[in-house]
Amino acid sequence: MSENSLVYRGSVKPIVPGPCSGEVVLVNGYISFFGEIDPERGCFIDSKNVCFHDKILVFKGTRGSTVAPYVIYALRRNNTAPRCILVAEVEPMLIAGCVLAEIPLFTVEKYEEFVRLVKNTHSNLYLEVCGGVLLLYRRE
Amino acid sequence: MYLTLEQEKMLRGDYGWAIAKAMEIIVRVGEALGAEELVKVEHAHISGISYSTIGKYGLEFLRELALRGGKARVFTTVNPGCIDYSGLSKIIDNSLVGYQKLIDESLEKMEFKLTYTCIPYFYKPPLPGEHLAWGESSAVIFANSIYGGFTNREGGPVALAASLTGYTYKAGLHLLENRVGRIEVKVPTSLLKVPIGAIGLWIGENIKAIPCICGLRSVLLDEVKSMLASMAASGSHALAIIDGATPRGTFRVELEERVEVENSVLENYIGGEYSGSSILGYIGCPHTSPHELVEIWRLVRKYGRIRRGKLLVTIPVEFAELYRDIVLELKARGVDVATGTCPVVSRFKGKFDYVLTNSGKALFYIERIHRIKVKLARVEEIVRELSGL
Repeated sequence: MSENSLVYRGSVKPIVPGPCSGEVVLVNGYISFFGEIDPERGCFIDSKNVCFHDKILVFKGTRGSTVAPYVIYALRRNNTAPRCILVAEVEPMLIAGCVLAEIPLFTVEKYEEFVRLVKNTHSNLYLEVCGGVLLLYRRE
Repeated sequence: MYLTLEQEKMLRGDYGWAIAKAMEIIVRVGEALGAEELVKVEHAHISGISYSTIGKYGLEFLRELALRGGKARVFTTVNPGCIDYSGLSKIIDNSLVGYQKLIDESLEKMEFKLTYTCIPYFYKPPLPGEHLAWGESSAVIFANSIYGGFTNREGGPVALAASLTGYTYKAGLHLLENRVGRIEVKVPTSLLKVPIGAIGLWIGENIKAIPCICGLRSVLLDEVKSMLASMAASGSHALAIIDGATPRGTFRVELEERVEVENSVLENYIGGEYSGSSILGYIGCPHTSPHELVEIWRLVRKYGRIRRGKLLVTIPVEFAELYRDIVLELKARGVDVATGTCPVVSRFKGKFDYVLTNSGKALFYIERIHRIKVKLARVEEIVRELSGL
């Protein structure tokens, strides 16, 4: 039976409150939901083809098209949405998308520190948000 | 958040379901951003009205709001759709016309002005300090930076909600205290020969704070428009303070850093050498201004006609009538003029090996959406290349 060991504890600010726990998918950069994400599959369109359905999507912030909320809404309706989203910076269109799609959204207080740890811990990571606290576990 | 009696009534459904839903979106986004109150807007511009970009769920969302009584309470314009509204383009694929028509019917029912353009400032130029709720990243940054309008980068649904209620949340760039330039970005004169979209793409990706851009005093406004659009595509910029252009009193400057754009960093943003025989030239992202359209016409006359590949020019629907003679002559000289759409929000009929464009924004999206190699060039280079001379 697997056990979880706590590897990081940090703070988050709920922007669109809701439950948030699961595996982490990290895309450390700014993303344009329109043009860079396929809402049919819940995956990035680029060559790495990273998918985030039913996982926690972590990225720095959004860029590009203001069509983003419709793409986020389509992710929900296609059942390809992430469980929740963690970012360093929010902008209005990301919040609007998450409100429409009912995807919990949080900003991570020490984002760079958190991301460095996620990158350095190459094993199975499981993340949980309780209140304003972020808990990151490694599955042994 | 403080709401007036009227706003409270809107939220609780006294004005119908559509307005209640719209108010809920605005209040929830506003609360998340720490807004203390709402602000009345003078003009809403709705992005995300192309079926090609919003798909069936976006269509459902718009239809439901229209069918359940949503109506514009302020002057409202709309972004390009996914079809060529002249119906004559041989490059833009009109096969989604049935779905687009359903969207268009909803927009008409909500009493929006069916402009189908990403340059809404052509219809109603914002006044300095006027509050707006605009979607369309290129229009937002132009409104804030050139006219001194006050708008955030509203996502399509928020701009729509602001149109139906007449209000948006008072946060972000609606407050002067947030319109502060922190980094000076100098564009040396020697770089003004480079396609300006490349400079915009570089700033978008590498500068995060609100920039104060200097060195552009001799640059045409159309070029600045192209640069700003590119910044808003590769980055999340909604305001750039342009030395000599941004109206005083609509921003503050507290510089913390200075950078100079260097030629060596721009090469990655211009696109590589092209190969293949099927070439598409593209001008009109954002849609051409009247001045740009006349300039393209002058250049096409200078070089005779399009003899090599295809040249696509995208314009607002209304320009087809306003500049009828120019559009007809461009077509007669082999230019494909599409109205009310653009390749960012539509599909191509045929396949192309590469695209040559003056627009950094078009480069950003065409490479991602259409999977075609794109190279940046100045407008005259594009026309000359396509003329085969």
